[in-house]
Amino acid sequence: MRVSYLLIAGLLLCSPLARGDPWQYEFLFMPSAQAVGTFNRTAPITEIVPQVVQVDTLFSIQRGAFKLFGEYLLSDHEGDLERFQLGWQASQDTVIWIGRYHQPTSIWNHDHHHGQYLQTSISRPFLDEWEDLGGILPQHFTGMLIESSHQAFGSWRLRTAIAGGLAPILTPDGLEPFDLLHPDSKHHQVGFQARASLHPGEFTETGFGLLVATDELPTIGLAQPPLPGLDHVDLKLFGAFGIYAASDWSVLATWYHANTQLCSPIETINGSFGVGYVEAERRLPHDLTPFLRWEVSDNAGNNAYLKLFPMMTRQRDVVGLRWDFMPRQALTVQLSGTNTLEGHFSDIRIQWSAAFP
Amino acid sequence: MRRLLAIVLTLLLAAAPARPASHTVVLVVGADSPVSEMDSVTVRKLFLGLPVLVNGRLLHPLRNRSDPLLDEIFFQQIVAMSQPSYDRQILIGVNRQGWLRPTEFYSEASVEAALTADPNAVSFMWQRDIGHNPGIRVIRVLWSD
Repeated sequence: MRVSYLLIAGLLLCSPLARGDPWQYEFLFMPSAQAVGTFNRTAPITEIVPQVVQVDTLFSIQRGAFKLFGEYLLSDHEGDLERFQLGWQASQDTVIWIGRYHQPTSIWNHDHHHGQYLQTSISRPFLDEWEDLGGILPQHFTGMLIESSHQAFGSWRLRTAIAGGLAPILTPDGLEPFDLLHPDSKHHQVGFQARASLHPGEFTETGFGLLVATDELPTIGLAQPPLPGLDHVDLKLFGAFGIYAASDWSVLATWYHANTQLCSPIETINGSFGVGYVEAERRLPHDLTPFLRWEVSDNAGNNAYLKLFPMMTRQRDVVGLRWDFMPRQALTVQLSGTNTLEGHFSDIRIQWSAAFP
Repeated sequence: MRRLLAIVLTLLLAAAPARPASHTVVLVVGADSPVSEMDSVTVRKLFLGLPVLVNGRLLHPLRNRSDPLLDEIFFQQIVAMSQPSYDRQILIGVNRQGWLRPTEFYSEASVEAALTADPNAVSFMWQRDIGHNPGIRVIRVLWSD
């Protein structure tokens, strides 16, 4: 039976536990349209898609402490059930999810997910790029996620997220997560993630934290693996991040250190690399928000695992301006200069994004 | 003279509580609600869409939009943020956690009906509009002129 059917059945089975509570629901549509032009190009591969029209649909159906929550992304290039989670609000500060989730050690993706409207820049940092767009780190898992928040050190809050679930596999097209709509768990292995952060108050995003993850990524059908007979890659991530969020300024910085181990029946290659970024945003009068992002990496050119990803970005500078020209609608223009492992390119993007209702 | 004094006192007593009550916003629940008290931080959490549980039951915030002045008080006193910031916070809550937006009501009568029907519902209204409705219970004063 498909996992998605199991989660719906789970909500229906749990709903009698919330007897007396009304069924409640929420829908949110986040459409966007984006065009990209590249120039000054020497890299063989730059953008996978030069323009995208998409609608990100979020739905939440709740009865008492139980909730079915999903995100379906439909674009002119793909349609995918990105998140589909059955949640139980175990206490006021703890929620337990089972299903397909965005792994919590990606600060960007765990905060913004797929909806373009809620992120200021048009593109996301390359280290947080989705698997089907050439991303180097697993983002979609199917399993269990526990999110919690507790008072600590007086008025500070300790927010934690721990998770374990089926990790993506490595294919000739890059990382391929477990697909809820076409499930095939034959090759997927379980990966684990944990994140903990401290925040000076209940309602602020400002804070800092640490994260750790470990994944085994089996390889399927690679034509030219960096190691003959490559069977799987063991990936271990350690990271730190900090966020400063005020009414007019926000700054986000993250750094990940990754240990990689490429394993074949006869040989193992160990390596490591680092990736990170700093993004600053300034809110100005007239609903204008300029932003800057600086993405960097360390030892990326020498790492055998990263040779599996032809779009791997070594360094990227991003600058742009967002204009919220009316409630829940924004226009954004962004200019980037990118150095990949095999060349460089520049690009200019323009985007309309919105949220309804 | 005694009669005149009695009339004056009666008029003063009748008028005195009416004046503050006419400009007071109170947090209200249905008569069957398990809620007996709520601090301002919890009120803020509730109307920002965060989960708030009492006796293991999730509370349901009802936003009373029957009066433009209530909207102003809602942003200034209850959630303590501007309308655009609140709008964004609500969208973020839906996007990250599937939190539900507070249900909006545009008349006092519909707020009262919803409070009576749902013991886990929490809302706010002008104290003067409650009158002697036995189905509504006041938890605390949120704002007073």
